[in-house]
Amino acid sequence: MLLDVRDLHVEFRTREGVARAVNGVSYAVDEGETLAVLGESGSGKSVTAQAVMGILDVPPGRITGGRVLFRGRDLLTLKDEERRRVRGAEMAMIFQDALSALNPVLTVGDQLGEMFVVHRGMSKKDARARAVELMVRVGIPAAAQRVRDYPHQFSGGMRQRIMIAMALALQPALIIADEPTTALDVTVQAQIMDLLAELQREYRMGLVLITHDLGVVADVADRIAVMYAGRIVESAPVHDLYKAPAHPYTRGLLDSIPRLDRKGRELSAIKGLPPNLMDIPPGCAFHPRCPMARDVCLTDVPPLYEVSGDRGSACHFWRECLHGRS
Amino acid sequence: MAGHEPILEVSGLVKYYPLTRGVLFRKQIGAVRAVDGVDFTLVRGETLGIVGESGCGKSTLARLLVTLERPTSGAIRYKGEDITRLSGRALKAVRRNIQMVFQDPYTSLNPRMTVGDIIGEPYEIHPEVALRGDRRRRVQELLDVVGLNPEYINRYPHQFSGGQRQRIGIARALALRPEIVVADEPVSALDVSVQAQVVNLMARLQGEFGLSYVFIAHDLSVVRHISDRVGVMYLGRIVEIGRDTEIYDHPTHPYTQALLSAVPVPDPEARERRERIILSGDVPSPAHIPSGCRFRTRCWKARERCALEVPPLAVPERFRAQGGPAAHDSACHFAEERRVVPPEEATPGHPPGQPPVPGGEPHEEPA
Repeated sequence: MLLDVRDLHVEFRTREGVARAVNGVSYAVDEGETLAVLGESGSGKSVTAQAVMGILDVPPGRITGGRVLFRGRDLLTLKDEERRRVRGAEMAMIFQDALSALNPVLTVGDQLGEMFVVHRGMSKKDARARAVELMVRVGIPAAAQRVRDYPHQFSGGMRQRIMIAMALALQPALIIADEPTTALDVTVQAQIMDLLAELQREYRMGLVLITHDLGVVADVADRIAVMYAGRIVESAPVHDLYKAPAHPYTRGLLDSIPRLDRKGRELSAIKGLPPNLMDIPPGCAFHPRCPMARDVCLTDVPPLYEVSGDRGSACHFWRECLHGRS
Repeated sequence: MAGHEPILEVSGLVKYYPLTRGVLFRKQIGAVRAVDGVDFTLVRGETLGIVGESGCGKSTLARLLVTLERPTSGAIRYKGEDITRLSGRALKAVRRNIQMVFQDPYTSLNPRMTVGDIIGEPYEIHPEVALRGDRRRRVQELLDVVGLNPEYINRYPHQFSGGQRQRIGIARALALRPEIVVADEPVSALDVSVQAQVVNLMARLQGEFGLSYVFIAHDLSVVRHISDRVGVMYLGRIVEIGRDTEIYDHPTHPYTQALLSAVPVPDPEARERRERIILSGDVPSPAHIPSGCRFRTRCWKARERCALEVPPLAVPERFRAQGGPAAHDSACHFAEERRVVPPEEATPGHPPGQPPVPGGEPHEEPA
């Protein structure tokens, strides 16, 4: 297994109290596989990724438990120096907002080239040549000229391509993409997702795609992990999950999105609001919003039950949910 | 449901923002053509959806419709009267009837005002709508109508979640009992599960208050859900407009087709059945709009004629005689019908065209 996250716990200490952002997340990604981590804001999907990448803000953040096994090594036990070598060379991250992720006072050529200078010890000239190659590879027109441009001189889609080029530079085995297309227009979104999928196939990378968009997931993912209040509530191959969700939250999400290919009367909304992370409801965190909740849900935290060999659901009543009774 | 009486008629609407150079002697060196000739009619009681990508001019259009901006040229007729020429008392009267819901519920509400003051503020400007002593009761009614607890009247915006704030924005828009509500990306800042609550709320209020909506958004699925008719904007113009199935199931303009084909559909089975049109390049700058058809620089069908002649927004000749759903307004010289959204296949548990479980939208507790 390329990346194996086990029982990860992350909390944030703030003046108002302790926010438990990640409460025992486990997931795994293999080479060439795309795992989508789906969740709404505050579900802990990005915090998990930051902990995996080692870019969590500490403090206020703190990893309070769990392991992050990358090719069998626990990243959480590495020294900063070693961690830095892994990051960038073996695993890389793509962010939502390329404009704030790129350095505004360096040309894109310098930023791309820096990867080769720092990690590969290349000369500036060779690094520049590699930067141009990368820009060509991610489809930036007139790369040889544009390598001297600054990030603000590119359009949103082109900037996201540069970010992909940067993540790809050292041919990492794993890429974590945090909402990579959310800030882009649909037509550009499609271009970027296609590029990512193509590069992933070419280099057989593992891809963790963090998103809130059920459409994007359906388009590219092999497996999906649905997060709610810092836990994975359902994990399944993507086809199974869309066909028959085994958790009422997943079902609620699928039912609440308007469809392009369907004109509905009324959307079936999930009632209420996502929980406050400083005050997560006891028992199943979803119970105040759940149409299926019973007494046991108020007291017992549901474990991730095995639905089938490669499916899990953290719902006491997953059988009923799976078979459509509620 | 929609009748036939037009409540708003927009014709030849244009808004240019001058580009100037120089400090002492400002010289105009060009113009950003944000809205560049828009025509449409809004019928009483209907929802007209406007979709387009960033920079297409849809937000400028919204600001023109609610008279926050004056157009460079063109007319907006509200019940037959051109409101772009009005001023003073007459303008104020019109503004009361055309209200707006903004995109960002975090920045469009004053953090120092209580919810009661925010929703009641329109009454300060239009005191004839509600007597001073009656206002508090009115505001509480409005809170109830949008699904918030009327007791929250003294709370501040930061005590509410994004979805609840958008409800407050909607309540404010309804305070003066307008006839038209222009909503500019009202749900795009919200989480998926909350988005559905607000969409349902807007649909319910439309019936309750007899509202006509102009619903502006970039999300084609949300727009389809709520709209009776849909207009597709590109670089300041509507390139295709028609009833919901005409646009989504029988699009004839290549831009609409590309846009629809790019939308991810939440159905992994559709991955193989779908046809993707990937457009090359980026949208040109509205300061340098291509000659002829403005979409031609990204269009795979473009020919010489497209650079020379601006295609009018009308029913293309080839569809005029045959009628049917392809016969709707489309500004393309080479309009062709092409279905890009695969027809839905029936899946167990989800019969097509019918949402699974009717959802309620109950009162919410504050975050």
